[in-house]
Amino acid sequence: MKSLVIKDLHASVAGNEIIRGLSLVIEPGKVHAIMGPNGSGKSTLAKVLGGHPDYEVTGGEVLMDGEEILGMEPDDRARKGLFIAFQYPMEIPGVSNANFLRAAVQARLPEGETLDATEYYGRLYEKMDLLEIDRKFTSRSVNEGFSGGEKKRNEILQMALLEPRYAILDETDSGLDIDALKIVSNGVNTLRGPNLGVLLITHYQRLLNYIVPDVVHVMVRGRIVRTGGKELALALEEQGYDWIIKEEELEEPAAV
Amino acid sequence: MPAETIDIDRSVGDFSYPESHEFDAGTGLTRDTINYIVDVKGEPDWIRDFRLKALETFESKPMPTHWASHDLDAIHFDKIRYYLANGQRPTRSWDEVPEDVKRTFERLGIPEQERKFLAGVEAQFDSEAVYSNIKAAVGEQGVIFTGSTEGLKNHPELFKKWFGKVIPTGDNKFSALNSAVFSGGSFIYVPPGVKVKHPLQAYFRINAENFGQFERTLIIADEGSEVMYMEGCTAPKFETATLHSAVVELVAMKGAKIQYVTVQNWSPNVFNLVTKRAIAHEEAEVKWIDCNIGSRLTMKYPGVVLKGRKARGEVLSIALASNGQHQDTGAKMIHAADETTSNIISKSISVGTGRATYRGLVHVPRHLKHCKNNTECDALLINAHSRTDTYPAITVRGTGNAVQHEASVSQVSAEQIFYMQQRGLSEGQAMSLSVNGFVNDLVRQFPMEYSVELKRLIDLEMEGSVG
Amino acid sequence: MSTAIASTEERPRINRDEAALILTSGPAEQENHEFADWFSQLRFDAWKTFQEIPPPARTDEAWRFATIKALDLAGWARPVPVAESVASELIQRSSGGLETAGRMIFANDQLLSRELRAKELEAQGVIWKPLEQAIAEHEALVSRHFMTQEVVLGSRKYAALHQANVRAGTFIYVPRNVEIALPLETIHWLHGRNHSVFPHTLIIVGENSKVTVIDRFHGAGGEAGFACGVNDLFLERGAKLTYVNVQDWSRETLAFQINSTTVGRDASAINMALNLGGKYARTESVSRLLGEGGRSDMLALSVADGTQEFDQRTLQDHRKPDTASDLLYKNSLDDQARTIFAGLIRVEPGSHRTDAYQKVRNLLLSDDAEANSMPGLEILADEVRCTHGATSGQLGEEELFYMLARGIPRREAQRLMVFGFLNEVIERLGDKKIGDELRELMRRKFAAG
Repeated sequence: MKSLVIKDLHASVAGNEIIRGLSLVIEPGKVHAIMGPNGSGKSTLAKVLGGHPDYEVTGGEVLMDGEEILGMEPDDRARKGLFIAFQYPMEIPGVSNANFLRAAVQARLPEGETLDATEYYGRLYEKMDLLEIDRKFTSRSVNEGFSGGEKKRNEILQMALLEPRYAILDETDSGLDIDALKIVSNGVNTLRGPNLGVLLITHYQRLLNYIVPDVVHVMVRGRIVRTGGKELALALEEQGYDWIIKEEELEEPAAV
Repeated sequence: MPAETIDIDRSVGDFSYPESHEFDAGTGLTRDTINYIVDVKGEPDWIRDFRLKALETFESKPMPTHWASHDLDAIHFDKIRYYLANGQRPTRSWDEVPEDVKRTFERLGIPEQERKFLAGVEAQFDSEAVYSNIKAAVGEQGVIFTGSTEGLKNHPELFKKWFGKVIPTGDNKFSALNSAVFSGGSFIYVPPGVKVKHPLQAYFRINAENFGQFERTLIIADEGSEVMYMEGCTAPKFETATLHSAVVELVAMKGAKIQYVTVQNWSPNVFNLVTKRAIAHEEAEVKWIDCNIGSRLTMKYPGVVLKGRKARGEVLSIALASNGQHQDTGAKMIHAADETTSNIISKSISVGTGRATYRGLVHVPRHLKHCKNNTECDALLINAHSRTDTYPAITVRGTGNAVQHEASVSQVSAEQIFYMQQRGLSEGQAMSLSVNGFVNDLVRQFPMEYSVELKRLIDLEMEGSVG
Repeated sequence: MSTAIASTEERPRINRDEAALILTSGPAEQENHEFADWFSQLRFDAWKTFQEIPPPARTDEAWRFATIKALDLAGWARPVPVAESVASELIQRSSGGLETAGRMIFANDQLLSRELRAKELEAQGVIWKPLEQAIAEHEALVSRHFMTQEVVLGSRKYAALHQANVRAGTFIYVPRNVEIALPLETIHWLHGRNHSVFPHTLIIVGENSKVTVIDRFHGAGGEAGFACGVNDLFLERGAKLTYVNVQDWSRETLAFQINSTTVGRDASAINMALNLGGKYARTESVSRLLGEGGRSDMLALSVADGTQEFDQRTLQDHRKPDTASDLLYKNSLDDQARTIFAGLIRVEPGSHRTDAYQKVRNLLLSDDAEANSMPGLEILADEVRCTHGATSGQLGEEELFYMLARGIPRREAQRLMVFGFLNEVIERLGDKKIGDELRELMRRKFAAG
């Protein structure tokens, strides 16, 4: 079955359960959005899917095209086609973007095969042009001294280059001005296609004006509480999250 | 600076009173000296053995001049008096305190409010405690606060368990010397869970020529207890060298907190060679606040052995090295358990021909995880002939720990001084302000009365340093 | 006069063979080199000094943390010249690499080849010769500089040993106002079991001249050996020197490298060391800033793994006002490797307005690796800006996760990060070609490990 299936996922950090029974199915070709108030566990979901060592999965499963990924190392998951665009991309001093991306592309080649440098740079420059990234960028250290917008563009560049099957975009809109937001959204839209499933994690509806989702989920306290079309996002924009949280509390009193 | 702050009587600590020592071991150090001390003090045999063994260790150890100052060679061990007491049993009430002792306090300028505290103060004159009164409230909480001699006699079960365990006799030549001839100092035991509200204080003085002081202090804070101990000293001026060589051992049991505050202002002929170390058990916290202003040569590197998980150790130290002085101070942090953290902040000021040296040791042995040390050493040079040195030694084994050391040397900016002078301050006042600014963040961590005293001392030094 | 007589009288009492054959446990080799008298005398004097100085003890501050038992000198033999087939193989192995103005190749302290490519240098008055030839042909220049700098960081004994045995190495003299564009390179090979070498480098850069010199030290095989090298660098007024020292002896080598850099007025030195090989490798590096406006950059990269121990001692000695020095040493430590860094910034009285920096950073990659740092300051002047820092840590977990999340395998991600960590030092060198060469050497070590 081609899809990213999250089934009754439970995860905690330092003993606190943050993801509390979350289920979700992302099909190739579809863009899902997860919205939710601060502290609902949205970013934790991205880290857990990526396999961050600080998060402990205490229940449930995640199947990527039928294959269980929770037991895999983070790099295995990535090479299988899972991509996380991080909310706060790390700075890696001394490691140039060119070497970093090259290592990532090389890691996806079959054993013993080496990268064709000409082809690689051709592809890299093409994607950089798409995201309006200066050529000088390749010799700079990964994310070091980058502005917020540059970091986010770098994330989308990596996504474009690595061609994942499923991409989780964690608050990719945060810290972007309107021009940068357009460039990033344009990049993501170009990458949309029948072979890519996307999960947008966002606090604000704004991003969804540029990347129009097929499905919108609302996440509260570690689980999905509402699912609908993009009109759900508009409703949240107008009314905020409070009404959903209140309804939740009514349904599940003192569920702590 | 307001005028009154520079209006300090520079003869403070510059006085002495007629001596009437009933017990005097004479000069020089032999087995006889030790037997004399033990007999006079009426100490048990295990202490006699301990002292005699320590004497052998002392004699077998070389002077540490291969790394330390050669000024140590100026100490003539055979000319020192190792023991004398004024023959009084520790007194318990203010009325029983001799008049000249009271006058000494007065001359020291101890504030009225603080004098009230003397009811709970261990004040030491010469090498025997002449005044020891545990504040009633403290006693009621089960806190033992007494002289070390009384401690070893009256509380042998507590005393013996930790005495000489934090700092073994052979730790260095001077810890061995102290172990051989110690007298005076405090013994404190804080029972589990007891939080001592008021700082416990002790005053030390040297009151005789050629007379060395060898206090021995042992503080045990039992599980979850908290205590702060304050030690301050001034000494009279004499022509010949005087040796002060204390040993202070602290034991912080699980979750306990100990703060040990020292303001050292010995007269400029004193060799102040002190060994101070603490053991911090699980989640315990030990903080040494150490301020060195006086003495000819001070060598003191308070340490914490971080023995239990999540133990914390801290050394905050200020050194002021004036003309002819060498403040050789620092800190030792021995990490011996996971998740232990240590912090060292050292600030020194060298004035005139003064020399300030920082010596540090940070040790993180193998297979520990999540240990952290942060060390910052900042030195300020006031004059062209001042000197400052920094000699840290840091050993880190394995992954999962973070250790960083930073040091800087700078001077008071001429621009800054000019700016303040333009606003009408004298050069000395401007210098005082700048230097106080340099140490300000550390001084704020001192108990109030000490920080005021410290500020005054800095003013005083700066007034004399310019022009 | 009387001292000269005394020393002549003494000469017969020093056994020439013994001086020549120190360290020998194998068959005695005939000392068949006839040096000029003055130079022979230096060797004999040094041999005496060597014998007088006791070996380092654990309690010596200059040897603190060092594994003293690694310093055993028993069993090392004078090297025998390599066979012709080996010589041609080593020449072959020395080829490639950087484009140079000239290259000398030594094996076991014997000159194998000297190739001057920038022919114009001779016309410009540049002297670039094997030490032995320079001793014979340029007595005044050599004797004025040879082993004249006091060894202050602990290895006086080993410097004396070097002086008693030295024959091979490079002598470079660049007269005033000459800029040499391409680097001059010397490659030393140590071949055969338990052999010893004593490579020497003496560089004098004249007023306003500029040169880059690379010394490379390689083990021909994996055998145990002893290497005891000295490099003395002199920069006259306004001179610029970049000196790169690549230490890639066999992993069973006991190695010393004693550096002295003397920086004149407005001169500027960059000294870069790459430490890869050796079992116990000690480097001592002293920069003496003797003229106003002088500057010295001291850089080192050490990649330690297995049971290697790298022992680095440095001194930034500011003797004149308005001088600057900047030290950056980085160590990566894997397995049971140990590193020791003891550095001192000393600002002498009167050396006002000194800028001196010192930074050592240790990257620990294994639970058994051990980094010792002793960054020191002795400041006896005013208006100085001096800072030092030492850090010990490991690869950042979050950075590592970021790379894993891009599908880069853990080992590769670690390797990239270690490179990134070390790269900062290479960048400071400001020479891309040499930088690439150094990166390539590091890559090879990582690939082998």
